[in-house]
Amino acid sequence: MSSPARTPVIRSWSAISTLGIGPEAHRSGLLTRALPEPDPTDAFAAEHGGSAAVIPSFPVRTLLGKKGTRSLDRVTALAVATVGGLVTGDPTDAAPFDADAPVAERGLVLGTTTGSAQSMMDFTRSTFDGEKPFFVDPAKFPNTVMNCAAGRAAIWFQLRGPNATVGGGRVAGLHALNYSRRLLLTGRAETVLCGAAEEHSPARADLRALTDPGDTTRLGEGCAVVEVGGPEGGPGLAEILGVRFGMARRPEDAREVLADCVRRTLHDTRVAAEDVWAHLPSRSGGTESEAVTGVLGTDFRTHTCDDLLGDTSAAAAMFAVVAALVHAAEDDSAAGRIALITAIDPTGAVGCALLRPLPAP
Amino acid sequence: MSDGHGGTARRVVVTGLGPVSSIGTGVTDFLDGLRAGRSGARPMELFDTKGFEYSNGCEVADFDPTRWQREVATEDVGRATQFALAAARLATADAGLSAEDLASARTLIAVGTTDGEAHELDRIVEHEVGRPVADSPETMARRVPVGTLSAAVAQEFNLAQAETITIATACAAGNYAIGYGLDAIRLGEADIALCGGADAVCRKTFAGFYRLGTIAPEVCQPFDADRKGILTGEGGGILVLEALDSALARGARIHAEVLGYGLNCDAHHPVAPFQDRIADCVRLALADAGVKPGEVDLISAHGTGTAANDVTESSAIRDVYGKEMPRTVSMKSMLGHSMGAASALGAIGCALAIEHGFIPPTINHETTDPECAVDCVPNHSVTADLRVVQNNGLAFGGNNSVVILGRYES
Repeated sequence: MSSPARTPVIRSWSAISTLGIGPEAHRSGLLTRALPEPDPTDAFAAEHGGSAAVIPSFPVRTLLGKKGTRSLDRVTALAVATVGGLVTGDPTDAAPFDADAPVAERGLVLGTTTGSAQSMMDFTRSTFDGEKPFFVDPAKFPNTVMNCAAGRAAIWFQLRGPNATVGGGRVAGLHALNYSRRLLLTGRAETVLCGAAEEHSPARADLRALTDPGDTTRLGEGCAVVEVGGPEGGPGLAEILGVRFGMARRPEDAREVLADCVRRTLHDTRVAAEDVWAHLPSRSGGTESEAVTGVLGTDFRTHTCDDLLGDTSAAAAMFAVVAALVHAAEDDSAAGRIALITAIDPTGAVGCALLRPLPAP
Repeated sequence: MSDGHGGTARRVVVTGLGPVSSIGTGVTDFLDGLRAGRSGARPMELFDTKGFEYSNGCEVADFDPTRWQREVATEDVGRATQFALAAARLATADAGLSAEDLASARTLIAVGTTDGEAHELDRIVEHEVGRPVADSPETMARRVPVGTLSAAVAQEFNLAQAETITIATACAAGNYAIGYGLDAIRLGEADIALCGGADAVCRKTFAGFYRLGTIAPEVCQPFDADRKGILTGEGGGILVLEALDSALARGARIHAEVLGYGLNCDAHHPVAPFQDRIADCVRLALADAGVKPGEVDLISAHGTGTAANDVTESSAIRDVYGKEMPRTVSMKSMLGHSMGAASALGAIGCALAIEHGFIPPTINHETTDPECAVDCVPNHSVTADLRVVQNNGLAFGGNNSVVILGRYES
């Protein structure tokens, strides 16, 4: 294992969700547990806000500028806007950078479930709609490839470092975190923007109705991105102590496989069960909490966010990471102790991460 | 199995190869195909090609997943995942590793892909528009999440503690997965990595490339003056990467050593390749491998056979190597563009080339384009003593990754 001196650190974060745009809106929403009203002038929110936890107002052309935004699909715009908030320091400004931007060597790692199912299915549908099957819109073709959002964000902000898209559904955010961690430990990048994004769409809702007809959780959407670097970059918000994964063969095995995963991670990172300050599940009220209780007992806090954000699928675990940062900053009992993030995906994949919140400088 | 925590200097070797391709499945058949310069091109049958003026592709004909899948039910997973499973079974058998060996080691499974199971999304849409589809929408929808490509491999071998990641970096994804396995083993966080890529042909991607004017009517002719584009292909390629100490301890046969890799991003254009950044990526890979340009004996190019790729890529290679360019071949002339599997199958081809002392040819080649003047070993394989080989993977989104393999020398 890496020596403590090389433990990667989360330095900053941004998010866009049903709580609003940028860290201030997200933080205050998590703490007050109050949802903002949808903006009636936002067409998407007006159409879908009744059935899903969508972003109350997402004015793409205001945030990103008018140039080049027409062909972006929603998940790509979400990723570009959230990464933009982090690299510009202003969540309302995600205008493109010039070629010699100061962020040039940064890496970007983004988690996904299936990219944009809507973009992919719309494109296929257009092969059946026209006179010829190839009468499709070529400007929409890149949206049908799963690395579109990460590639576009790289172009937008001139991020020329390692650029990866990792699939894993609800566990994807933890894969992004581990991928970023390894990029730092191998010296392939000094700073990595690490996030996960999911859009709400009719296609995604239809797919879930097919795969999980009994799941009535509100679907949610959004993007969360953290900036991760080495400890030499100055004080950060939290250290990434370890990330581990497991695989359940059947859904009913997920609890025990996650419990085993948590035990292994505690052991490998030399963290005692009583050092865990809080559990942040990607999905509340179920298997994840049972698994963690089985390992840790009940003497820890639980901070949920999916009950506010809805089912954000690929973004869920990264939203739990962000929730850990938000709640730790508000809680004196967090300092020097450990936040446990967990996730279970319907494929059977499980994962967990241990973060050590750092005291404010 | 070794449980050594060797740190960053750990050497990593290839001990198993699992190719599933249009020119051959399994090491023996695939090796024969590469040596013979076999072509995988044929009329595509997996989706309705009516209305397209031409529709050759490189499908894996007569693929039977029941030959390979013992634990995961074939109807539970889509065609790309079936390729990944078959490739993983082949690779682990080639490496002499049992499921118990994998379970007792720290095993990473990394599968790269472009489209995942987009084929199933295509078919759900077909069902919606009233066309006949054999499976129910519920069955097809369950196959869609891209994480399944790696998750199913762990389930097939019953690896409850495996780390499984699907890397969706489009057409460079196979190299990304190999690089991720290399890093995890180098860091001492894994002992064995099953890594590579898988993709199935799909209507969406064929229509997209067709509309862009980048589909060749008949055959794929990389570096040829008369090249007309890609042929969409499919397949799976899994390599077993293993810490050298682990491989030596169990007396494994070593195909090649993974010397290093590099990755970067063009940050330039959503689909067009960018010469300067590709050259940078090659330099990153060579530096990671501790190899000088003059030591590279062969380049397995991304070599799609489009006008833009072959000029841009060969120019980038020239930027790094100057006039002393190594022979530069494109296995896509035989395999078509198998998308997320492409650089994984390329890496398998490179390992076999090193081990068996030959260079796979660039077939369908008549006249080399002076704008991409490489020695592409036209049409017939040649014998060659290879010590270091470079495998390129370039992708939409400007995702570049280059892997360097070498002959294993103790």
